[in-house]
Amino acid sequence: MVVAGKGGVGSSTVAAAAALAAAREGADVLFISVDGRPGMGPLLGGSEISDREQTLQRVPGGGRVRARTIPADQAFGDYLELKGVGGLLRRAASAASLPMIAAATPGLEHLLVLGKIKELEKERNADLIIVDAPPAGHAAPFLRSASGLSDVVKSGPVLDQASDVSEMLADPTRCKALLVALPEETPITEVIELADDLGGDIGIELLPFVVNACWPDRTGLDKTPAMAARSYKLKLSDSAKSALESAAAFGRSRLAQQREQIERLEKARSEPIVMLPRLATPRLGPDDLAALADALIPSH
Amino acid sequence: MSREKQGEAERPIASLEAVIRSSELILTCGPGGVGKTTTAAALGVAAARIGRKTVVVTVDPARRLADALGLDDGVASDEPHQVMGVTKRTTDGELWALMLDAEQTFDRLVREQSGSRKQAEAVLDNPVYQAISGSLSGAQEYMAVERLHQLHVSGDWDLVIVDTPPSRHAIDLLEAPDRLVGFLSHPVYRTLTVGQRTFAKITDAASSMFLWAVKRLAGPQIVEDTVEFFRSLANIEGGLRHRARQVSELLRGSETAFVVVSSPRAEAVGEAEHLLDAIADKKFPLGGLVVNLIHPMPEPLTDDDEALLAGIDTGPLGDQLEWHRELTSLANAERQELVDLKRLAGEAPVIELPLLNVDIHDVPGLVGLAERLV
Repeated sequence: MVVAGKGGVGSSTVAAAAALAAAREGADVLFISVDGRPGMGPLLGGSEISDREQTLQRVPGGGRVRARTIPADQAFGDYLELKGVGGLLRRAASAASLPMIAAATPGLEHLLVLGKIKELEKERNADLIIVDAPPAGHAAPFLRSASGLSDVVKSGPVLDQASDVSEMLADPTRCKALLVALPEETPITEVIELADDLGGDIGIELLPFVVNACWPDRTGLDKTPAMAARSYKLKLSDSAKSALESAAAFGRSRLAQQREQIERLEKARSEPIVMLPRLATPRLGPDDLAALADALIPSH
Repeated sequence: MSREKQGEAERPIASLEAVIRSSELILTCGPGGVGKTTTAAALGVAAARIGRKTVVVTVDPARRLADALGLDDGVASDEPHQVMGVTKRTTDGELWALMLDAEQTFDRLVREQSGSRKQAEAVLDNPVYQAISGSLSGAQEYMAVERLHQLHVSGDWDLVIVDTPPSRHAIDLLEAPDRLVGFLSHPVYRTLTVGQRTFAKITDAASSMFLWAVKRLAGPQIVEDTVEFFRSLANIEGGLRHRARQVSELLRGSETAFVVVSSPRAEAVGEAEHLLDAIADKKFPLGGLVVNLIHPMPEPLTDDDEALLAGIDTGPLGDQLEWHRELTSLANAERQELVDLKRLAGEAPVIELPLLNVDIHDVPGLVGLAERLV
């Protein structure tokens, strides 16, 4: 499962919540942070994510979340090993030449990382591999690296690698994409573009959209504070009315915008939409992540 | 937790205006999704409105913002277009905008640095160059600062504002010119670019390994193109190095200002702090810190009101109270997140902007934001 969304929409958090939700269902999950962002490790109950695989969390019932990043040079080394090049020679080759080869072969770094993910998938390393993709803008080039490479490279094992990766991405029994947005105008526009893009030439099957950080629908905000107080037979002071109204006015406009943008997404795409709650904190903790996992798959 | 006073905008209102008045170059940088491009455009509007001829270089504008700036459908347009409706008729400032085209900028750089047309074409026509000019690791970042340099030395502009590309580490931009020089100093590159005869008897392990690995990975045909590309690049290497040094000096010059843009979310704050540290570390001039998308602080409920309303948690009034509490606690937590960030900004002006109800996607919206900024 590839999770992607524009920078700032919380796609890494959603990817981590999905990993937790799947582990709670009993799955052995491997979480791969392509961007090398270490921060989701502590949120998932472990230490920062590095290129060494670690188990972040074991869940009662047998599920667990493991995590790692895949740096391009390491993927390159592994690839050479796979091709039967070992030891010192391999280290010399990968250290000295990756920047040059990568420069000469656009998308190669991305392809090496995707190739490594493909290997992990092929050897059934986990029940579910969750790939936290680079932010949109970068997500499409990342996923398109396999098909784009064939413009420059006409033969050789890289081309084989590229076609294996393309095949994996386009096979809905092996790979699906989860796209993340916020209930705001620009993120919704961009997720629609990304969906058209990924579904189109790359041919990845899309999971339901996740709209992150949605305000809970509070119908009471539609009334004025004075009217709202009437059912309690309370008479509010002017200061209380003004205080409540200052918050309610902001809430109403956010909710209106949210409804409008979700409707726009519904009209543009046929995939279902999952709304995740906005948590009232700028800094998420493990409990917040569990709440998001609950919203994705309710715990038993 | 104490509630802050309303009207935080009392902080140095004039200072960001001073930056816009006195700088010749402004770079906006920061994490993704915090309104960096919009801020760059609004700074441009503000500068034009105080009479400066300004050009804004955008990298990846959202479509409606691009429309507002007269940039066609998100297609890269390398030459500046004037943005109308920004200034009053009485001032002589102007706002122009362009969208970075990394490939065209790279082409222009190669042409400028080549001794002859033939030298330039040897590079430009090489299939490897054509493939990498838009995608060389860090190329977009480097081309953003290169374009800034081109516009700056053209003498056509009072102020050039560059919105930096979204990158996983915003710091990439600051190191981009140094990275190119580092690339040219790479031992493999050095060995590859020596003459043909020496090349034939290369004993350098890294280089033969390089060629071997490329052959192994991408097939033999690309090796020829690659070697040829690096050799043709050698002709303009001196020029590229010189330019990289110039750009690097320009970024540290007194005519330059970096404006860091962030939001109050922990992840963005972490990245912005990292960026402010790096700016101080590498002695880049910091022009200001803009914190965008801050939730508004509701008016507080008095103790008497709280006492009257205690225990009400259902119905419309319950909704209103719960929402008031939630927004207050979120707004407070965000202000806590910003304490360290603001300290890192040191003497530089800090501008805090509220989360707006609508996205900014037209010129009047940008004018409104410009007025909040200065």
